[in-house]
Amino acid sequence: MDLHELTAAYALDALDADEAEAYELHLGQCEECREELAGLNEAAGHLAFATVAPAPPPRLRAAIVERAAAERSNVVPLLRRRWVARGLGVAAAAAACVVVGLSVALSQSSHTRYVGIGVVLGANGQATLTVYGLAAAPHGKTYEAWVIPAGHSPRPAGLFSGNTTVRLHVAVPKNAVVAVTVERAGGVRAPTTAPIISART
Amino acid sequence: MNRQLAHLSDEALVALAARSEESALAELYDRFGRTAYGLAIRVLRDPVLAEDAVQEAFLTVWRTASRFVPEKGKASTWILTLVHRRAVDTVRHEQRRRTDSLDRAAEPAVQGVEEDAWLRLQRERVQEALRRLPDAQREALELAYYGGFSQSELAERLGQPLGTIKSRMFGGLSRLRELLGEPGTEVSWTSTS
Repeated sequence: MDLHELTAAYALDALDADEAEAYELHLGQCEECREELAGLNEAAGHLAFATVAPAPPPRLRAAIVERAAAERSNVVPLLRRRWVARGLGVAAAAAACVVVGLSVALSQSSHTRYVGIGVVLGANGQATLTVYGLAAAPHGKTYEAWVIPAGHSPRPAGLFSGNTTVRLHVAVPKNAVVAVTVERAGGVRAPTTAPIISART
Repeated sequence: MNRQLAHLSDEALVALAARSEESALAELYDRFGRTAYGLAIRVLRDPVLAEDAVQEAFLTVWRTASRFVPEKGKASTWILTLVHRRAVDTVRHEQRRRTDSLDRAAEPAVQGVEEDAWLRLQRERVQEALRRLPDAQREALELAYYGGFSQSELAERLGQPLGTIKSRMFGGLSRLRELLGEPGTEVSWTSTS
């Protein structure tokens, strides 16, 4: 299969999935095809304007804007996640150990969102917790961090309202779990809900 | 805010959408939503599936706006490519599609449509350019783009070698690009309907 010949079909979305995949890999290495594709894509785009159709129902616009707004409050841009990772990297240089937990949670609008925590362990079990990907805590609620040493019950380790970096109130030994739950404002002495994310040290 | 957005280029709106500015996404929809919906209806022939395809495509714009590179192409091309891809994916997953005949790519009759002058001119210009293509090239483009048929499906159904289909697509698209790249020079802007 000569991949150069697939440019027009790719621009028309007329390749089967495996062909399209092979062509996309090829594109990464072929400047000539990238240039040709840009031109043919534009020509294919013109074809969209040749159709006649009734105006879309107004609810379509409303639905798009509403879902976009809902996603904005739930999704943390990749950029910020990289920034957090870099921040953790710097902190790690001076620390004994870094552990990172990542969970994928489904929001109400059924879009994937990523919630991550990073725990940086310092001397004497002192630790900081970095959280990203969280929406602000609902009204009347707070996020609460927990340190759960192996074989012990959870110890309350601090409250926060959203994405943040906080110093945990209790020492984090080896083989402990650091977890985050949603609790009523002011916090509780023992978790009342399942953790939304956790990481093991 | 919307007054200001009306003066921005499509590409600037995508850049604003990348910064989570919902009004920029709404403005992009106001500019291309109707064309997107028309395209999706043409490919899918079902208003509900078409709405879904347009909605998913615009949310893809929203989610991936930061990866749009203006140097690589126009924002309108990017958006309509996303809509088209979504519609074609949907049509290919439809079971009933297997028994569809090739005439599914034909333009359905739509009555009583009101559209603005700019859209009408655009449509007439592209339709005129399509008419100037050799029949075999026009057929290949229409079946692929509006019918959602893949090149191998077309080779089989038209009883032609795959190489012939490929060169018809390439020839047709290249010629279309030439014809539409010279606005107003060769292509008639008068309505033939």
